[in-house]
Amino acid sequence: MKNKFWKLLAVMMIASLLLAACGGGGADTGGGEKVTSSGFVCPEPEVQMEVASTELNLFVWTEYIPTEWKECFEMVYGVTINHDEYSSNEEMYAKLSAGGATYDLVQPTDYIVALMIRQGLLQKLDHAKLPMASFNPSYLDLTFDPGNEYTIPYQAGADALIYNADAVPNPPASYADLWNPEYAGRMVFLDDSRVIIGMTLLTLGYDVNTKDPAQLEEAKNKLAELIPGVKLFDSDSPKTALIAGDVDLGITWTGEAFTANQENPAFTFVYPTEGTILWQDNWAMPTGAPHSDAAYAWISYTMQGNMFWMMLRDFPYINPSQAALDYAKDNQTDLYDAYINSTITNMPADAIAAGHYIEDVGDATPLYDQIWTEIKGGQ
Amino acid sequence: MLKRLRENKSSQGTLLISPTLVFMVGLLIIPLILTLIISFGKRSADGNVIYTFGLHNYIRILGISSDCPGGQAICFDPLYANILWRSLTLAFNSTVLVIALAYPLAYFIARAHPMKRNTFLFMVLVPLWTNFVIRVYAWMMLLRTQGVINSLLGWLAGLVGLHFTPLEMLYTPGAVLVGMVYEFLPFMILPIFTSLEKIDNSLYEAAADLGANPIRTFFRVTLPLSMPGVVAGTILVFIPVMGTFIVSDLLGGKQVILIGNLIQRQFLDARDPTFGSAASLILMAMTLIVTFFYTRKFGFGEEIVAA
Repeated sequence: MKNKFWKLLAVMMIASLLLAACGGGGADTGGGEKVTSSGFVCPEPEVQMEVASTELNLFVWTEYIPTEWKECFEMVYGVTINHDEYSSNEEMYAKLSAGGATYDLVQPTDYIVALMIRQGLLQKLDHAKLPMASFNPSYLDLTFDPGNEYTIPYQAGADALIYNADAVPNPPASYADLWNPEYAGRMVFLDDSRVIIGMTLLTLGYDVNTKDPAQLEEAKNKLAELIPGVKLFDSDSPKTALIAGDVDLGITWTGEAFTANQENPAFTFVYPTEGTILWQDNWAMPTGAPHSDAAYAWISYTMQGNMFWMMLRDFPYINPSQAALDYAKDNQTDLYDAYINSTITNMPADAIAAGHYIEDVGDATPLYDQIWTEIKGGQ
Repeated sequence: MLKRLRENKSSQGTLLISPTLVFMVGLLIIPLILTLIISFGKRSADGNVIYTFGLHNYIRILGISSDCPGGQAICFDPLYANILWRSLTLAFNSTVLVIALAYPLAYFIARAHPMKRNTFLFMVLVPLWTNFVIRVYAWMMLLRTQGVINSLLGWLAGLVGLHFTPLEMLYTPGAVLVGMVYEFLPFMILPIFTSLEKIDNSLYEAAADLGANPIRTFFRVTLPLSMPGVVAGTILVFIPVMGTFIVSDLLGGKQVILIGNLIQRQFLDARDPTFGSAASLILMAMTLIVTFFYTRKFGFGEEIVAA
């Protein structure tokens, strides 16, 4: 949410400048072309869908949707988009399960998908209305949703280590290295219970999805030593504090690390020796979504190659859309090369093979939640 | 019907307060009762409420634990007591600082020429036109390690040839305190100003005629007569500081956990609304107790309303 304000302000200022300069963008120009306020010419939908709804309610991660998509979709389909944001899966789950909210699409991460399906919060998807052929098959049919009955991939990535090579002469190679007293007070962590408890479990040699209370107790005690050295928990924009120099290292997502690295090559992303934590975000449709027709049209339109390539530009995580990569290869060569040549986005096969996926832990969930509350409150 | 209403004072009163009454019952009393009911419940593994009756959430927050490191049957876990204490201390410190900053300013405005007075009051209120979160963000830009304040200090140190190590300000408890003081300052300035403005000028003249010097006049006349404003301001500042979570989230880097953060976490990240409800009620009880003793001693600042 927060950073959005500045972004919005900047966008509005730029937009008003553009408007002043060219006397009206962001509208239909003579030839029926639809142009966004940033000057992007909206492509036509490859599959024109029947949309009777006039609204679409999205509930998405903070900073995770290119602004052009919204403008283009609104112009192409005449649908108004309402857009709410969250910065943790738990938060999204709590709001959805409390009822009352009427969202058409959400972006759950792998482990929470299984829980949401079990709770009846998601509805089955109609593959005929989805661009199933555009995906790289390695991101389909994963354990949390076999056969992709309820979800389709959006982005994937890793929660690995990042450090500023100019400020950290003795960089970490493993999650366990974070306990080095040199790093105390200089770290940013994701504000994510499963990731932070999970990586602590890995340093102890346990399974990242353990349900054993004794192992979790051990992890809690070990983590309690580390937490006072964490300067900042941030799941909105962890790169900001790194780039601003408030912190020098930490645990962050692929895309944030890639952006920081593009800004300053001193930011180095490390796949820890314990094996990195992997994840995949997905589109899913809540039960009772009031505008499912618009939701299908949204997915179909934004996931076509000539739209989804923008993720490489704005939110460079691992892109599961082969169509988008193919399009970028031919039309956005710089972006494509940066993506393919970076080990952050184009993850080495051995890092993927050694990685760990967070899974739903069922009855042990309260234990994780309680450990997180106690750990963070106990300073 | 209308005729009867015109004649009957008490049904007039009922009619007048009924919108507020509906509002209060619907949006305050009923949710409060729900919170109470939920606070006795249990969470399911998936984070839903199971309606039972138990005091386990209250036992947990009070720190009575049966899982003791020494193996005793029962022991005290100070985790949540510490969070409550931290919030209380912060609220107290913020309030004292706010009074210290607001009083001189309110005094200055109250004594200013009436023409200028409105301009000054206007200037106090202008920041409130901007969204609360944006103002907190502005503080983040000021306090960053390479932010405005550090850059300025570094530049000044460079001028006199000193070596400068940037101050660590953002994501500390001090930053949270600064944010709270900034955020709630207007709520102290306005009531103090109102009570200062009400003081009759002839009282100052009388004090001077009777030979009191300005300092004595301040302590014997101005301060006692402006106390209702300070009291009202204290209530307006202390209570919200106790419950606010956004300032400590943004300026404290989510690692300065106050009772407000604890409660917010329970409803979102920790998915335990039952514990969150119990913590909310404990916060309310604590605030009520503090306010009760405070107002017993100083009143509600009702003299302002009466004046």
